Amino acid sequence: MRQQLVQAFIALLMIAVILLGVELGVREEYLKAYEFPPASRIVQGFIELTTVGFPTGVTIWSHIFVTVIRILKGYIAAMAIAIPLGMLIGAVPVLDKMTVPLIVFFRSVATLSLLPLVIVWFGAGELTKVILIAYGCFWVMLSNVIAGVKYVDPALIRAARAFKVNGWTLYREVILPAALPRMFAGARVALGVGFMVIVGAEMIGTIQGLGALIMEARSFYRSEITVIGMLVIGILGYLITSGLAALERLLLPWGGGSSEAA
Amino acid sequence: MGSGSRAGDILWGLAGIIITLAGWELATRLGAIDPTIFPGPITAILTAAHQLPASVFLDNMAWSLFRVTGGFLLGAAAGTIIGFAAGWYRGFGYFARPLIELLRPIPPLAWIPLAIIWFGLGEPSKFFIVFLGAFFPVVTSAYHGITHVDPSLIRASRSFGLKGLGMLFHVGIPASAPDLATGLRIGWGLSFGVLIAAELIAADRGLGFMIMNERNAGGSVSVIIAGILLIGFLNLVTDAALASVLGRWIGRWHGA
Repeated sequence: MRQQLVQAFIALLMIAVILLGVELGVREEYLKAYEFPPASRIVQGFIELTTVGFPTGVTIWSHIFVTVIRILKGYIAAMAIAIPLGMLIGAVPVLDKMTVPLIVFFRSVATLSLLPLVIVWFGAGELTKVILIAYGCFWVMLSNVIAGVKYVDPALIRAARAFKVNGWTLYREVILPAALPRMFAGARVALGVGFMVIVGAEMIGTIQGLGALIMEARSFYRSEITVIGMLVIGILGYLITSGLAALERLLLPWGGGSSEAA
Repeated sequence: MGSGSRAGDILWGLAGIIITLAGWELATRLGAIDPTIFPGPITAILTAAHQLPASVFLDNMAWSLFRVTGGFLLGAAAGTIIGFAAGWYRGFGYFARPLIELLRPIPPLAWIPLAIIWFGLGEPSKFFIVFLGAFFPVVTSAYHGITHVDPSLIRASRSFGLKGLGMLFHVGIPASAPDLATGLRIGWGLSFGVLIAAELIAADRGLGFMIMNERNAGGSVSVIIAGILLIGFLNLVTDAALASVLGRWIGRWHGA
């Protein structure tokens, strides 16, 4: 407890020193305000972002809203396909063997490298961004659902068989609960992937969303707004990961940790 | 590895690949998908080879590999040193950890605008983004590894007279090698993906630039598809190479 207090104190002290250092550095003209926006400018920029918006009319809240909705659309689409498909592949060994190299390859394809192709197919609009997020989330989720179903402890299955639990009941009562922690961990990692993809995807062809905000701000030499955008992205990412981890502990108390997702 | 023969697994895998490729090729031949916007694999690769000379592919590939290797090595070195130091020396950890934890939730791609502000549009900004892609996974895993060394190993080596740097190099680092190896592989994958994205958004050469430029210039979809496949294979092959090198390295201490 005392150690944590010391740690928190040092952390706050360091942040204060850095902010003060940049503030003074800019005031004394050792640093350029454009390259190192000082805290006073960042606060002003934040007030501007919440009231007027940047570009004018688009406040920080609507940037956040647009980004979150895009992530959710792609994420939910990916889950809707990956969960049933993964449960099927995981339960049928031949199907699993046939899809291993394909899944490894498709996971290796950098999601954003698909951007030019998807633009050719669907234009540079909303659908393209949603498809890219869905692609990134899909393969992560699929491999975790397959692994979850495939690596259920055989002792559990033998024990259930000994109690004459078979077929669909075995699947619902034993395999599914045993696979759920891994599936949930996959869902958590997938959301993180979606979050990384959206920031890149929004940097092209849109003025709405957090990725667009930080890129646009740079083109207009408003580096303080870029920094605010980055901080908001960081906070949002942190909230999403820690929120899902908390939800996981609440929903799956038999999970026993979830560091196994890959 | 579970039951079942390895050769059998490989054959089934090949069957899966062939069925997919054949299905894709057939779908374009039979007109189920429009071959002008989604050519089959054979058409795509042949057309791409015809339209862009191999030297263009190789040149862009060399630039991408140079950037990703350079940025990764810098990021992995910094991540390893800082992660180990933060875990081994509590005083340094007090200062390094809050900064790392504060910056870690920001995805590397979100640094692109700031990288351009600080370093311009040239090579340093690409290196910086790739650096970040490698740094955070590596620093996290190095720190985790070094702070989770079995205490009995530390006590045993202390009773043999090891301490300080000697203990770090002979006990601490070997014991945390598996964690570090995981971080290095995640870092490599992330570095690779992040570089391609950075090349799409702001670059004048590299594989990411090559495919984005092809689409902006209204060029051929075949080149884009061949480029995407090449990027995927490069990532796959380099990751496998890294995994085998790391496996051999860890095998020195942890059994093959």
